[in-house]
Amino acid sequence: MSWLAPSALALGGIAALVIGALHFITRSEPRPEQFPTARFIPERPLRARARRLALSDLALLALRAAVILSLAAAVAGPLHGGVRGRVLRVVPLDRSRAVASAREVADSARALLREGDVVIAFDTGATLVPVMRATDSVPLSSAPGSLSTALAAAIGIATRAADRADSIELVLVSPFAADEADDATPRIRETAWPGRIRLVRVGAAPVLPFNGGVESAAPLDDPVGAAIALGGLRASDGSVRLTRATPSPADSAWARTAGHVLVHWPAGPDAAFTRRAVADTVGGVVAGDAVFVARLARPWVVEGHTIARWVDGEAAAVEREHGDGCIRDVAIPLDAASDVTLRPAFHRFLGALLAPCGGARSGLALTNDALSRLRGAGALATASSLGPSRQASSWTPWLLALGALLLIAELGARRVRASAS
Amino acid sequence: MARPSASQAASYGALLDAVRGVQWRARRAVTNAIAGTHHSTQRGTSAEFTEYRLYRQGDDPRRLDWRVLARSDRAYIRLATDRAVLPTTIVIDASASMAYPVGGATKWRFAVNLAVGLAAAAHAGGDPVGLAVAGREGSPATLAPRTRRGVVAEIAHVLDTVEPGGTTPLAPVVAALRTARIALITDLLGDADGALHAARIHAVGGGEFHLIHVVAAEEIDPPRRPLLAVDPERSEMRRMLLETTRAAYESRFAEWRSDMAHRWRAAGAAYTEVRTDEAAAHAVRRVAEPAGGIQR
Repeated sequence: MSWLAPSALALGGIAALVIGALHFITRSEPRPEQFPTARFIPERPLRARARRLALSDLALLALRAAVILSLAAAVAGPLHGGVRGRVLRVVPLDRSRAVASAREVADSARALLREGDVVIAFDTGATLVPVMRATDSVPLSSAPGSLSTALAAAIGIATRAADRADSIELVLVSPFAADEADDATPRIRETAWPGRIRLVRVGAAPVLPFNGGVESAAPLDDPVGAAIALGGLRASDGSVRLTRATPSPADSAWARTAGHVLVHWPAGPDAAFTRRAVADTVGGVVAGDAVFVARLARPWVVEGHTIARWVDGEAAAVEREHGDGCIRDVAIPLDAASDVTLRPAFHRFLGALLAPCGGARSGLALTNDALSRLRGAGALATASSLGPSRQASSWTPWLLALGALLLIAELGARRVRASAS
Repeated sequence: MARPSASQAASYGALLDAVRGVQWRARRAVTNAIAGTHHSTQRGTSAEFTEYRLYRQGDDPRRLDWRVLARSDRAYIRLATDRAVLPTTIVIDASASMAYPVGGATKWRFAVNLAVGLAAAAHAGGDPVGLAVAGREGSPATLAPRTRRGVVAEIAHVLDTVEPGGTTPLAPVVAALRTARIALITDLLGDADGALHAARIHAVGGGEFHLIHVVAAEEIDPPRRPLLAVDPERSEMRRMLLETTRAAYESRFAEWRSDMAHRWRAAGAAYTEVRTDEAAAHAVRRVAEPAGGIQR
């Protein structure tokens, strides 16, 4: 048996001892009683003490102590046969493009996990995964990984599951690529997780060759074609293929190859895009760090993993996985007579749109110093350090009822004692 | 005064049955002229012959024994012992000390039973019997001595309506009574000296005074637990009764009771100590028919 608040039990014990002490002290001062022949009693100081206790008084004392202890036990919240006393593991599994093998991740999970542990699969987002499925295999995604996302999700879940254990162990299974950490990662680690973290490294996926060349059939009088030509990006065997019309089956097949990026940037109306109810104009668009300011029409609506946004936040270009590669839909119409695509800002914007799937990868791992800070030191995180317990004891109402019954019994015993004396 | 109910009469039924036949005789010849059952100091013309006495001038000629005069030529008058009634008033102490133990008032109930029993014994002898309730707050409740039927029930009814309490002295009530026989039922924990003085005056005047000293069994044998005792008539008096002081208490109390018995008897009163743990009928018999007999 364990207790939700053992200190309440200790306080109850102290209170029972105090009650006992008070009981003996008050017994030593008898209540005044009328006695007609009191004048024949020798005069003595009234501080004289009693040296004897009646059985009824002991019963009353026992009842009072039982009332105190039952109420203290109700507040302490006994847990019978609970899961407290154990260590709960929260295991974020990396399933991002940085992971080389899903099998390796599953094997690592199988070696770690026990019944009751919590598993999270993360890339740019995090989802809860059943333990059995995690030890089977977690499908990898082409999205980049984010250790900040993993930490935030794990801390939230650990806080909610804190009532089930005394200590929480956070186990990160990841290749710990440098691209997966951002500025928020060390801050989250230091401020939001109170214990050490166990790091389990798995193999990192190799960085696929990306030559940056663009295969494009766009003529030079096309604004995008002119920008590619101007930038010297045009190549016959590039990793990026740009089409200004609906992609052909050959384009689609080409995009399935790992490391290939198909950019679908229609020059005119396209059946693949949903038209907006009311077309409007926007003053700029942003992709990563690149900002392109121009008066641009906005006739379409696109949804998916956003890689470029209009200045009001709406998606302007999205990326979707396609085989081992990806396809980017760019819903930014450009005026054929305009020269905005010749500006340096557009070239930086175009570079962001022509990046590898999921963005550029450095292929570097986190430094030992960064890993050390991520791992931390000291003991495991305690459940109490993650926030107040919300668990309730099923014994509490019964103990409160017992306390109430004992109070009634104490009242009766007191009356019996008063009438007897 | 309202008539006592049947239930009230029934509540004293066992006691009245137990004291039936008890004769509460006068301790000495009475001076009353009204015919009764007690020996009178007067010599009269009753059928119970006592002696002859020479006729003296002033005697009633009708009391001459004409036969003796005819035989002896001497004038004698025939004397006979008269019988007289003895009006009795029972004075009961209703002060706060009689309401003990608190809640049970065993002492008061015992005194009431004793009063009713003595009234019944006196009434059975043909004596007028009355009641005075003293010691409580307010004017004392009194019933003048009567011989009529139902007077005992009236006394019981009055006593049943009394709640003991107060510290009013007994002596003024006793001194105001003009009854030949006074029976004072009290615990003597009030103005014992004043009552003793009034009793002495009553006895000197030829009256008969009975002092029935009621002692609660708990006063003789107090509880064995520590007791912070408070005098009900003097709340400032608080004493602690412990095992260490118990023997001294018992000694002092016994000495005081002995002293009271001596002083009251010396004053000419008939002193009887009764305990609340004895039967009331038995106590009535001890008062009315003392073992030492009755003086003539």
